[in-house]
Amino acid sequence: MSSTSNAPTGNNRVRIVVATSVMLTFISYWRAAAVILNDLGSSAFYAGGIAEQAIGKSAPWFVLGVMLFAFAVRAVYVESCSMFVRGGVYRVVKEALGGTLAKLSVSALMFDYILTGPVSGVSAGQYIAGLINDTIAIADARGWVPAAIHHMFHGTPQVGVNATAVLFAVAVTLYFWWQNVKGIEESSEKALWVMQITTVMVVMLLGWSLFTLLKVGGHLPPFPTLANIHYSDESLGFWKHSKLPHMFGILGLIIGFGHSVLAMSGEESLAQVYRELAHPKLKNLKRTAIVIGVYSFVFTGLVSLLAVMLIPDGVRMKVYSDNLIAGLAMNMVGPQVVRLAFRAFVVVVGFLILSGAVNTAIVGSNGVLNRVSEDGVLADWFRRPHKKYGTTYRIINLIVGLQLFTIIVSWGNIYTLGEAYAFGVVWSFVFKTISMLVLRYRYKGERNWKVPPNLHLFGVEIPIGLASVGMVLLSTAIVNLFTKSVATVSGLIFSVVFFAIFTFSERVNRRKHAHNAAQMKEQFQLQLAETVERETVGIRPGNVLVPVRDYNTLNHLRWALERTDTHEQDVVVVTARISQFGSAAYGLATEQIFSDYEQTLFTRAVSVAESVGKRISLLVVPARDPWSAIAQTAHNLESSTVVSGLSSKMTTAEQAFALGSAWEAIPEPKRQFLLQIVQPDGIVDTFRIGPHTPTMKNEDVELLHRLWLNVTREPGLENVHHHDILTEALTRFASDYGAHDHENIVKELRRHGAEAGPLPARRIADQVHTVQPGPARSDRDDGHRTDGSPGPTGDGSE
Amino acid sequence: MSVSVVLVKILEFMFVAGWVGSVIVLLLTGYEDVGTLLDRKDDNSH
Repeated sequence: MSSTSNAPTGNNRVRIVVATSVMLTFISYWRAAAVILNDLGSSAFYAGGIAEQAIGKSAPWFVLGVMLFAFAVRAVYVESCSMFVRGGVYRVVKEALGGTLAKLSVSALMFDYILTGPVSGVSAGQYIAGLINDTIAIADARGWVPAAIHHMFHGTPQVGVNATAVLFAVAVTLYFWWQNVKGIEESSEKALWVMQITTVMVVMLLGWSLFTLLKVGGHLPPFPTLANIHYSDESLGFWKHSKLPHMFGILGLIIGFGHSVLAMSGEESLAQVYRELAHPKLKNLKRTAIVIGVYSFVFTGLVSLLAVMLIPDGVRMKVYSDNLIAGLAMNMVGPQVVRLAFRAFVVVVGFLILSGAVNTAIVGSNGVLNRVSEDGVLADWFRRPHKKYGTTYRIINLIVGLQLFTIIVSWGNIYTLGEAYAFGVVWSFVFKTISMLVLRYRYKGERNWKVPPNLHLFGVEIPIGLASVGMVLLSTAIVNLFTKSVATVSGLIFSVVFFAIFTFSERVNRRKHAHNAAQMKEQFQLQLAETVERETVGIRPGNVLVPVRDYNTLNHLRWALERTDTHEQDVVVVTARISQFGSAAYGLATEQIFSDYEQTLFTRAVSVAESVGKRISLLVVPARDPWSAIAQTAHNLESSTVVSGLSSKMTTAEQAFALGSAWEAIPEPKRQFLLQIVQPDGIVDTFRIGPHTPTMKNEDVELLHRLWLNVTREPGLENVHHHDILTEALTRFASDYGAHDHENIVKELRRHGAEAGPLPARRIADQVHTVQPGPARSDRDDGHRTDGSPGPTGDGSE
Repeated sequence: MSVSVVLVKILEFMFVAGWVGSVIVLLLTGYEDVGTLLDRKDDNSH
């Protein structure tokens, strides 16, 4: 494989190496489970209340049934992931049923994702409003509310629950909109932390509930028979005036099941995190599935059951229907103030996990829309990166616009939102399972695991397990169409509108892409590579890596080219195609990774190289975050220097710190390199990434020399070198730090750190010195610098 | 029997048969899950 360059090849085209694998940092199954549970676990806060409002007091049995059935749905996801590393709904449906149904399924999935935000935001708002009102009511009952305020409100002051919930949901959605536009990075660390706090709450909740049950007793909810299912007016939808729901016992079970199915929303996240699971992937996926299955069964299932057992019938639906866990907290045995404090804790946890779900909804929707947009199903206009932050802000704006619209239209009615939400959840599962059934016969590739049992008759496999799961889902989804009128109407309108947009965009894009492809074929020659390797790109070790993103800011590329003799040192221009958390679950085709944006970007990069008269190699890498992409690419290509432009949202030190952190995540053995950040005014900051000889202060060098002079005066120590002094000093330091003098050393170092001032990059990326703008050198000079400033090779940087 | 009753009967059959099959899925995968959990080889639970 030859080098990619702007030098005319045989056919005058520039070769670009396109890596097809997303560069990811792999996570353990505990972290993966935490990421999924941040979405799946959040439904515990509202699913039980919504189900009971629809079908009455026997609802917890249905919620438990759904949580049990969720284990079987997870098995479908495990099988799909064992076939496709990115086994999300879109990929699987497209593979099995073609593009049209894939677009339809992704429309249903979008409905699910977009509604996750409003449902979670409004639910969190309901918990907060409930806490405020109950706290004021308790204070008022004790006479702590002044009479004037009491008089002003004509009774106990209360906030409007739905209005507060709407305000809160709008505020949280806007907050995460801005965070996503700025491009916050999803971290499994944060998800793990939220789940740890949630687990503390769940353990306390279950322990205290069991203690209360032992102390005051309780009754199980009525079993789910036709006589015990009490449909509300809204729960029968189009069958409101039909006799059918009252005639058939099993139909009643399906209706009840359909009203509880939103309890397992979030399963799709399993396919999304699979890509990022550490080795052994399949085993860890199964472990993740077990962890989330058991956790959500205990949390969502048991909480719904305990709520009916402990909260009196008179207040459960009247007061706590929208904040069932808060009702549970207030109906435990114990002093009121302690119960109120625990309720506040529940609200804090609810706030954390539900707000996280709002963010997950934006990130997930953005990921899915990015994915379909990359596939040419949504106009490229949506994918144009934000000028300052580089995010797909137009897609984010669209998602958040739809979410805000939903929040305001529903006006805090969690029941309506939840019912509509179930539409997207159940239909995306139906599409997925039917597709998996089709793929049992059509897919001939690798499949490491199958949903059991499978019967073999006359050489034909009959997937009994998969078909069974599919039958439960399909029957539930069809019945839901009749019983959830709001969900059916809104879901169908949404899906049809999205489907129409996708289809129209695809047609427009097909024509445009045909033109672009022809243009691209004239200019570029794409070479696919699964991973980034130096040999694949065809470059020499010690090369200069230049990350580029915005085609308007390529000054650093010019700077690097002007200072590099490309006969001796290769310059590799790399752009990271950022895949959001969700989109890592989907396969990326060449045209998705190398879109018209990358084409424009590389055309400009080639123009810069041509204007300087130097050769460059071009590379596209898909990645979850740009820093990991740069660090891993520099490592894989054995680059000696990375030359970057100044970020619009970070200082040079922060950029160095971010790259240093990404470098730390690369497994050993790894090589060090220099980072040079070229600022718009031409000033260049240079940092060493990785362990290296530190930059020593003059007084330290003098101290070392004085010590050496003294030591070498000792008899028999005449041959001691400076480095021997350092070795002895460091050995003593390591011994003292690990033993008796640890505290004092830490104190002293803190004092030094405070004197040095805040510079996070110091921790892992040491700044060398700042280079002032200076004259460039050409390929034809002798390589000796006259200005004293280092080129991208890093010579003279110490 | 009207069309809607036939449709309901089909849906009921699908639901019940599906649940029976799903319970078998749960039992078989549950048995496998115990094995997966007990197998500490290649564990990376950090």
